[in-house]
Amino acid sequence: MEGRPSEPDGFRDFVEARSTALLRSGWLLTGDWPSAEDLVQTALAAAWPRWDSLIRQDAPELYVRKIMVNTYLRWRRRRWNGEVATGRLPELQAYGDVFAQVDARQALIAALDRLPARQRAVVVLRYFADQTESQTAAAMGCSVGTVKAHASKALARLRDAPGLAELLAGGVSS
Amino acid sequence: MNTEEHQLAEMLRRVAPEPPRRVTVEDVAFRLANQAAESGRRRHREPRAQRGTRVKRGAWGRGWAPVLAAAGVIVVAGASAGLATTLTSHRTASSAGGASPTASVSTSASSPAPSQLRTSAEPSWPPERVANGTWGAELINRDTFAPDSLTSGDGSLYATDAGNLARIDPANGNVLASVPFGASIPGAPVVSGSTVWVVSEYAGTSVVLRGYDARTLAQVASVTVPVSGPVSTTAGGVLTGGSSGYLYVAAGRGVVVVNPGTRQVVRQISVPAGPVSSVALAPGGSKLYVSTGAFQLLIYNPASGAQLGSSAITGLTTTAANLVATSGGVWGTTGVGMTESAWFAPGGDLTRMFRLGAGAGAGLSSVPTLSGGVVWIGGSHTLVCASPETGQVRESVVIPTDGGVVEHFGSVTVMAGHTYAYYTDQRATQAGLVTLTPPGACSS
Repeated sequence: MEGRPSEPDGFRDFVEARSTALLRSGWLLTGDWPSAEDLVQTALAAAWPRWDSLIRQDAPELYVRKIMVNTYLRWRRRRWNGEVATGRLPELQAYGDVFAQVDARQALIAALDRLPARQRAVVVLRYFADQTESQTAAAMGCSVGTVKAHASKALARLRDAPGLAELLAGGVSS
Repeated sequence: MNTEEHQLAEMLRRVAPEPPRRVTVEDVAFRLANQAAESGRRRHREPRAQRGTRVKRGAWGRGWAPVLAAAGVIVVAGASAGLATTLTSHRTASSAGGASPTASVSTSASSPAPSQLRTSAEPSWPPERVANGTWGAELINRDTFAPDSLTSGDGSLYATDAGNLARIDPANGNVLASVPFGASIPGAPVVSGSTVWVVSEYAGTSVVLRGYDARTLAQVASVTVPVSGPVSTTAGGVLTGGSSGYLYVAAGRGVVVVNPGTRQVVRQISVPAGPVSSVALAPGGSKLYVSTGAFQLLIYNPASGAQLGSSAITGLTTTAANLVATSGGVWGTTGVGMTESAWFAPGGDLTRMFRLGAGAGAGLSSVPTLSGGVVWIGGSHTLVCASPETGQVRESVVIPTDGGVVEHFGSVTVMAGHTYAYYTDQRATQAGLVTLTPPGACSS
């Protein structure tokens, strides 16, 4: 079809450069790779038609993260009744104690699973993605005060999460 | 951030693993095409929602939902996603349809004699439960084969490894005979009558098919097939059989039809849009489906060589491959390595295709197979059986990992009511044939 919009300029570079970081954020949000990938693909698919505008606003990543968080929150609200998870993707074997790494990841995901969805989103955006409080608030569509409150409550819950104290102290590396 | 927050941030970055694969632009484009097709389907099937009325959408938002869009979807997909999807119809005869066949036929007297290996009725190994018993998976054989090469026919199982064709006893997994055949191109053997055919050699301008006696694996024939252009190297790409009894060879920029009975090339169908990545014959033999590297699916009349139609999705750099044709449409794979996955195109129309299964990683694949009246899709994430008519998943099970490392099921085949697959556990470096006990819904 002639005249169709083609792949936007810079989109491929962005995907190649940021895919890993976005996927890791997705993994922290959802706890498994298929869902993380789904989340990232959903956000990128939403960004594609708006790409030129997002570039002009110098905010493509902010937008993608916003879509990811909102999609994740929507999934959590629906709780995916009837959806069959496709399981956790195999993780590539690395040097070191593989079992300890897997245990650490499982402990982290278990701890994050204890958090309500919005608190978890704040933790991922604020502390993993290194977004400011105002950027986090913008991504989540709430006030900075709400972000602070979610962060505070999340930290309190994570403090009591089994197995997390050792990780916070610098136990096992990925 | 205070100290505790810094600790949390550092821990998250340290523990969160690297993803096993990256998302690619092609993934996104493929998703957009599905979304556009789905939005077209909704417009066709759902009434417009009244203000303040919630219209139940179903569980669409996540994953690769089935798409049953009409042809009008093409425009939507192209306009909204930057993809060009085209559906055209052709009634003209192929320019090279019915071209003069050329073939050389020989019965090799100097071919290697097959090795008759095990004749015992006892299994060489006791069956071993694997993959947490996914669909009752039990390993009955520990020989290494190409993951997508297992097939069945004439009362036996057949598989290939690096250059060898093996006949396997379905009762106990014993390799009954083995013969070296070359195997410069991967792919599952094709059982036609009492002969097992494989692609033996590829010399640039020709491929050689070799036929082996289904019982003894003694070579009984070879057919040299002319090719033009590069020949596919995907597992299910080059050679296929079908209800017509002919063999179909993806021969570069064309498809060559071989009569295995006479060992003669009976027809060459030119595919100018080639090179052909895969070929499949519809049940009943009325349509020949041909995929090309440009993610295009062409439909031919296998008897006349006339092109009947085509559909395509452009904007993707991945290819369509490993075709399987069923009564409801065409199945295939796209992508390679970590981005590989299987799809179904209703009616052979790529503009309506949707993804099935969760694909495969670690360089493996999820090649669909049609066996026992059901389509099977393996891989390293899910094992799926699906309806050959609609593409609807009948049953699906998550394939576990072995300590986080891939376990893979491939080339599921059904014989005499028993289901077999090829199994790989990369962590345990264990592989071989398994028997499966799928749910009843997987029976045809």
